[in-house]
Amino acid sequence: MISKSLRDHRRALIGWVIGLSAFLSMYVGVVYPSIVEDPATYSAQAVAKYPGALKDLMGGLQDFATAPGYLQTVVYQILLPVLFIVCAMVLANRSLAGPEESGTFELIVTLPIDRRRLVLQLFAAMALGLLAVAAVTLAVAWALARSVDMDVRFDRIMAAHIGVYLLALFFGTLTLAVGAATGRKAVASAVLGVWAVLGYMVVTVGKNVDAVSWLKWVSPFHYYAEGRPLYEGLPVGDYLVLAGAVAVLALTAVLSFDRRDVGV
Amino acid sequence: MTGMTAVVQAEGLTKYYGRRRGLEDLTLDIQPGEIFGYLGPNGAGKTTTIRLLLDVIRPTSGQVRVLGADSREAAVRARIGYLPGELVLEGRERARDYLEFLGRTRGGVPPGRVAQLAERLDADLSVPMRKLSKGNRQKVGLIQAFMHEPELLILDEPTGGLDPLVQQEFLAMVREVRASGRTVLMSSHVLAEVEHVSDRVGIVRAGRLVAVENVATLREKAVRRVELHFDAPVPREAFEGLPGVRDLRVEGASVRCTIDGRPDPLIKAAARFTVVHMVSAEPDLEEIFLTYYSEEGRNHDLQVSS
Repeated sequence: MISKSLRDHRRALIGWVIGLSAFLSMYVGVVYPSIVEDPATYSAQAVAKYPGALKDLMGGLQDFATAPGYLQTVVYQILLPVLFIVCAMVLANRSLAGPEESGTFELIVTLPIDRRRLVLQLFAAMALGLLAVAAVTLAVAWALARSVDMDVRFDRIMAAHIGVYLLALFFGTLTLAVGAATGRKAVASAVLGVWAVLGYMVVTVGKNVDAVSWLKWVSPFHYYAEGRPLYEGLPVGDYLVLAGAVAVLALTAVLSFDRRDVGV
Repeated sequence: MTGMTAVVQAEGLTKYYGRRRGLEDLTLDIQPGEIFGYLGPNGAGKTTTIRLLLDVIRPTSGQVRVLGADSREAAVRARIGYLPGELVLEGRERARDYLEFLGRTRGGVPPGRVAQLAERLDADLSVPMRKLSKGNRQKVGLIQAFMHEPELLILDEPTGGLDPLVQQEFLAMVREVRASGRTVLMSSHVLAEVEHVSDRVGIVRAGRLVAVENVATLREKAVRRVELHFDAPVPREAFEGLPGVRDLRVEGASVRCTIDGRPDPLIKAAARFTVVHMVSAEPDLEEIFLTYYSEEGRNHDLQVSS
């Protein structure tokens, strides 16, 4: 079932790898060199362009013209995570709620595979598919960083990339869990959207607002960015929290799908 | 009935979707080696029953055992072939590859079996599934249901979308399944589709099983229209009061009537005259079918069983 699911995802995975690589080429291979040529101007422009709260939303925009600062602000702050999260959502919806809504799941759930096992296998296929996308794009990001002489260590890029992977896996598994519980793509996507947007707001513009800042504990972005992986390396504790949350969500998906009617 | 364990054993099986009734209090045994026709109009509860047997949906109350096992046991589904009522096949994958995947997951298919079935049904398996025509899709559905030679075939509206020649081939395949001692449950909203192969039919209406009948018995109960033409006018009295004869009309040398059950008394009465021509319509099982419905309509508590 895992290999079948991966085969079904193949085209989507290839598409996402190409798209993400194009995104990285653009921002690391093309934009970065021109910023390095004239750091003072671009840095000032960037700060001027995003005043106040918007600057918070973009993660602060500090040391925009250094290699880690640029990568953090432009690539790893929001754009790459968002693209990865969307990719994870697409894979998750294609795994369960999509086939259930279209009706192709009818033959799959009547295979002699235990329901719990089936969901675990779909989860595993999604996690592996995302991992493949993350691995290839990590290689692309590293190759591009080398080619434009970025002053960043490989282990730092890898640390950030692992964070993106875990973040996307968290939201993918959330989508899978809601899809497994409800069988509805739209519901799953909506839950993901709300959680992701609010989660991001809480750790950026909301971090100095006492009324909401405590919510960062339920925001996956907190565990993704708080450890500043591009500067400080792998934030093991934070990432373990994300991994643990993924495990809890996967278990939720397994148990909720096991107990309900399919395709009604 | 027989000493063997029933292939399908449902007891008080009930399914509500929220407040909406799907199936109410179904008690039914299907024996090994029989072809059971499951009849009823759309929305009567046929698909609900079938999906309960396959554990796609869970009963609100009651129990069901399939092939001697709890329907919740996944392993038992390797011994079942299932054709969904609304089969959806999508994607770029070729039908052949999808069948191969299904076969492997169910524990293997004898080599050459898929090709042989495809040839019998004249199905093209090289087409990506999303490009299958409605007829071809149904053929792929039949192949996947039959290919692993399951002990129990559960076919929901199997003949929809098939042209008449393929339907004949399909019915032959169903008979072969019975000949090898295996069991078939097939649903339909048209009796004519299942009456020629079914040993028994169950009639479900508005979520309730209202009748289970042997097809032979049903046929005997059938109303037949008969027309007899003689070489000379015949007296009405000769045909009046014959057991089972109704709606008698005698006009000169012709007699028209309907008969319930055996035609024997009418034939014996007619034999006293010279018959030049006789027309007897096929027993219209559809009509009895409808009779059950109208009876059920009048009396909700009525439950007939064989």
